[in-house]
Order: sequence, then structure tokens, then C-alpha cells
Amino acid sequence: MGSLRVTFVQQDGVEKTVADAEAGASLMVVARTNGVEGIFGDCGGCCSCATCHVYVDPQWQERVGPADEVEISTLDMVSDLQRSNSRLSCQILLRPELDGVRVEVAPGE
Amino acid sequence: MSMDSSEAQVQAAGCPVGGDLLEATLTDPVVQARPNAFYQALRSQDPVHFDAKLGMYLVSRYEDLQTVLRDPLTFSVQKGYAEQYAKGFAAEFKEIVTRDGGGFFTDAIMSDPPYHTRIRKLMEKAFTAHRVKLLEPQITAIVSGMIERMADKGAGDGVKEFAVPMTIAIICAQLGLDHFDAQRIQRWSIAVTAQIGRMQTREQMLAHAKDICDLQNYLIARVREREAEPREDMISDLVHARIDDPEHPKLTFSEVVSSVRALLIAGNETTATALGNLLYIFATQPEMAARLYQYVDDDRMLNRFVEELLRLEPPVRGLSRMVTREVELGGKVLPAGAHLLLLYASANDDEQEFPCPRSFDANRGNLGRHLSFGAGIHRCVGLSLARMEIKVAAREFVRRLDHIKLAIAPEEITYLPTVATRSIERLPLTFARRA
Ligand code: HEM
Ligand code: FES
Repeated sequence: MGSLRVTFVQQDGVEKTVADAEAGASLMVVARTNGVEGIFGDCGGCCSCATCHVYVDPQWQERVGPADEVEISTLDMVSDLQRSNSRLSCQILLRPELDGVRVEVAPGE
Repeated sequence: MSMDSSEAQVQAAGCPVGGDLLEATLTDPVVQARPNAFYQALRSQDPVHFDAKLGMYLVSRYEDLQTVLRDPLTFSVQKGYAEQYAKGFAAEFKEIVTRDGGGFFTDAIMSDPPYHTRIRKLMEKAFTAHRVKLLEPQITAIVSGMIERMADKGAGDGVKEFAVPMTIAIICAQLGLDHFDAQRIQRWSIAVTAQIGRMQTREQMLAHAKDICDLQNYLIARVREREAEPREDMISDLVHARIDDPEHPKLTFSEVVSSVRALLIAGNETTATALGNLLYIFATQPEMAARLYQYVDDDRMLNRFVEELLRLEPPVRGLSRMVTREVELGGKVLPAGAHLLLLYASANDDEQEFPCPRSFDANRGNLGRHLSFGAGIHRCVGLSLARMEIKVAAREFVRRLDHIKLAIAPEEITYLPTVATRSIERLPLTFARRA
């Protein structure tokens, strides 16, 4: 059990806060193991399915960082839902400075 | 990049099954070859339709497929696949491969959670999008080499001399199978795929079973080699992989053999089919090749082109599930034990999800939501590799070749007899080296 806090805002407006996330875990895995709706993670974190799409709270964007080239091309497959703060949550690995991070789940399938 | 495929318009206008949907069946080779009007009739008249000849419910709407794909316990792959496998001859088939092929290795990945999760974890790490990106130079070298060897001949079969050997060379390089015989591997692929195609006669089943024995004996020897001495390849990775499960810390021998078989076979026919469809489009719609040529240096548009190709012409038509409890789907109550064929190809054609579904439009905003790779926990593990292979093939083909034309009439194109895929069998082409 870790001690990092993460908040997911679901599409239905419900907020789910996880208080015991571990450093090194991806946000996608944290979401799935805590029953966050709308994060499917079909490809298991291989950056190829875009079913783990989130919008990073603008206040956290800088600390979370930008998507790399491979992630950008996967996000482009769902460009109708893409925003400037889009990320694939399987590509965001938790680390101490992300304690408290807040993301909104993008609409999905 | 946007256009109407003229063939699609003909199909939509001249529905080959007429209004008599209930009489039509997916076991009819004519419907298999030109299926889109049939799919449309299914979606609008009876979206979860019982095909009596096939003995399966055809699930045709995007939304209903999503429901099924997101609920793997109610809709079992394991039971659906087992029911489909070698149907009609299952006992005899099993007996043959057990006797002559080293055993009947059930497909470990064609299973349900929680077992599926364990196998899947080991497979999916092999082809992450980032890993595949690193393979791009190697794939480009294989593909360009093959095109170069064809280029000055001016003619060749796009499926037999290009698509099939190319996909085989790439997956064999990954698995660590050197000195392979591409023709033999293609025979094996067809034999394995035929087991879920529902169209084989007993004679064909016997021939296929013989090929599958040959395949298994070959793979068993390769796995034994890696057990004795690991190498830097994917078979060794699977043989020696450690799983986070104290009771079963390693894959069993039969799990390894079946996983290697799945990786070798699942990606061959399917990716080769996508390449065949690509070359068919180049040959019959020269403006598409010309447009793509403008994008050879634009990775984003190349990726979009490939994705839209996969949506419009999905290699995998339909795979099976079995209902494990009474459930309502698309307004119909299905009993436990109902056998379903999920028509990915029809979902991609669903106008509710993809406006003007028969037009090629690489600028769609929801490109990646097609179901050509399935969805949910069984979503294709090889999708990044497949996308990369098709992208590189498309790019290198138009970069080097021009004036690509069919060497036979379009009506002479034939498709493999199967409900599972829609694959061009042979594609004679003429072409010239680009000036
Ligand atoms: C264009 C090429 C390809 C297409 C259209 C395709 C299509 C599919 C589809 C539709 C499924 C889902 C099955 C289901 O819902 O039951 C699937 C699963 C699978 N594919 Fe692919 N595939 C392609 C290429 C590949 C490649 C290159 C590989 C291997 C390197 C591969 C390996 C697999 C495996 C192992 C599964 C089973 C995954 C599971 O059940 O968890 N495929 N594929
Ligand atoms: S889980 Fe598939 S892209 Fe993130």
C-alpha cells in the first residue's frame, strides 16, 4: 500500500479519490483497481488503445508533463475527444510530486 | 483524404440478398464476398439475428458489440471458441492432433478471466506501442527489400508474393524463428484459421489437421530448444517468463506452445489480409495511391490512412462468444448457451457511429473507435505491430512503385471461404518502378 492521493472525476460528475496509491503505478491501473468508471485500459497499458484517456487538471499539467510522440499518435485516433490537456493515463506513472493529482475521465466508448 | 468507394455504392444500391434477409445466410460464399448490404439489412431489420444455417446469432450493431465486448463473463470467449473450433468434426480433429501432433493444445489466450488475465499479461508486453516504434527500422528494411526484389519484374501477386511473405518474415524475426519456410507457414495459418471459419468439408479438415500436426511438431521442437538453452527471442521469453502467482509461477509447456502458435498464426492471415486490401485499393483507385504518395513523409496522416483502411475493410469479420446466462441483447432475450458471432465488420459500418460509413475518410474524429481489433479484455495484442506493418508497407509501396493495376478483372477476385475473415486469396498486379 502506498500513500499517494489521486482524484478522478468521472463523466457522471462523481469524484473518486484514492488515498493509498503507490509510486510507480500508472494512473490507469490505479483507476481500474479502484473501480473508476470510464477507464477501461483495454491494451493493459501498451499505449495503443486510447481507452484510458483523461484530461489533466490544468493546475497539474506542468508537473504531469506532456505526452511523447507515440502517445500523441494514439491520442490522435480519438481526436474528436482530444484537448490540450489530454493524456493516456497508462502513460502517467505516479511519483511523489504527483501526490494529490487530479484528472477528469474523458468520455469513451 | 476523403472519397466514396464506388464498389461500396454498388453494394449499397444492389443489395445482393434482396429484401429476403431471413433467407440469407453468412454461410453463403456470395454473401461472404460482398457482405455490406447484408450487414446493413441485419442492423436495420434484426440486429441480433439467428442465422439458422450457421446456428449462431449474428450481432451486428456497434452498440450491441460494445455491450458484449465489455462483459466477458456473460459472453464467454472460452466457451464460444471451443464450440466454434473444428465444428462438426471436433472429436475426430482432436484425435488426430493428439495422436500425430504432440497433443491437443487448447488456446490459452482464448479463455475467460481470471485465467485469461494471467496469460494475457505475458503476451501484451511484447508489442507495446513504444517497443513497436523501435522496430520500425527493422520492419522498413524487410519491407523495402521485398519491394525492391519485385520492382523491376513489373508484375507479381500482391498477396502471395508480398503480403503473406512479408508478415511471416516479420513475426518470425520477432519470435526468433530463423530458416523458416514461408509457404509452409502460410499453409499452417490457413489450416488453423479454417478451424473457426465454419466452411471446411471433412476432407479439408483432414488435410488441415495434418498441417496443424506439422505446425505443432515444429513448434514443440523450437520450444524444447529454448527450454534447454534460452536465446534472445520471444519464444525464450515465454518459456522462461515468471508470473506473479505463487501457485503457477511459470507457463506450462502446453501454454507456451499454444501461445507461440497464437502469436505466429493470429497475426499472419489478418495482417496479410489488410495488406491485400491496401493493394487492392491502390490497384482499383489510383487516386488513393496518388494521395497517399503526398503523405509519405507525414506520419500522422499515414497512421490515419491505415486506421481508416482497417475500419473500412476489416480483415476479421467475426469471432464467437457463448452466452453463460439468460441475457437481453439488442431487444432479444438470449438463453444460456446461445452461440454468437460478433460482426466487427458490421459494427464498423454502423452509421450511428460512423457517418457515411462506406466512404473512406481519414479525417474522422473517432477513427480509433472502429472494432477491427475488437475491444475489451480481448482487444488484439498485436495491434501496434499490425498498424506499423501496414503503415510501412503503404509508405514503401507508393514510394517505390507507380501505375499499380489489377492484372485480372475485379470480378475474378476470390475470397477465402470462411465466416471469420474476409481475405483476398490472390491478387495479380502489374506495376512500374516510380520514376
Ligand atoms: C490487421 C491485423 C490484425 C487484425 C485485424 C486483428 C484482429 C484481432 C481481433 C478482432 C481480435 C479480438 C478477438 C476477440 O474479440 O475475440 C484479436 C485478438 C488477438 N490478436 Fe489480433 N489482429 C491483427 C494482428 C495481430 C498480430 C500482428 C498479432 C500478433 C503478433 C495478433 C495477435 C492476437 C492475439 C494473441 C489475440 C488474442 C487476444 C486476447 O484474446 O486477449 N493479432 N485480433
Ligand atoms: S491502456 Fe491502452 S492506451 Fe492506455
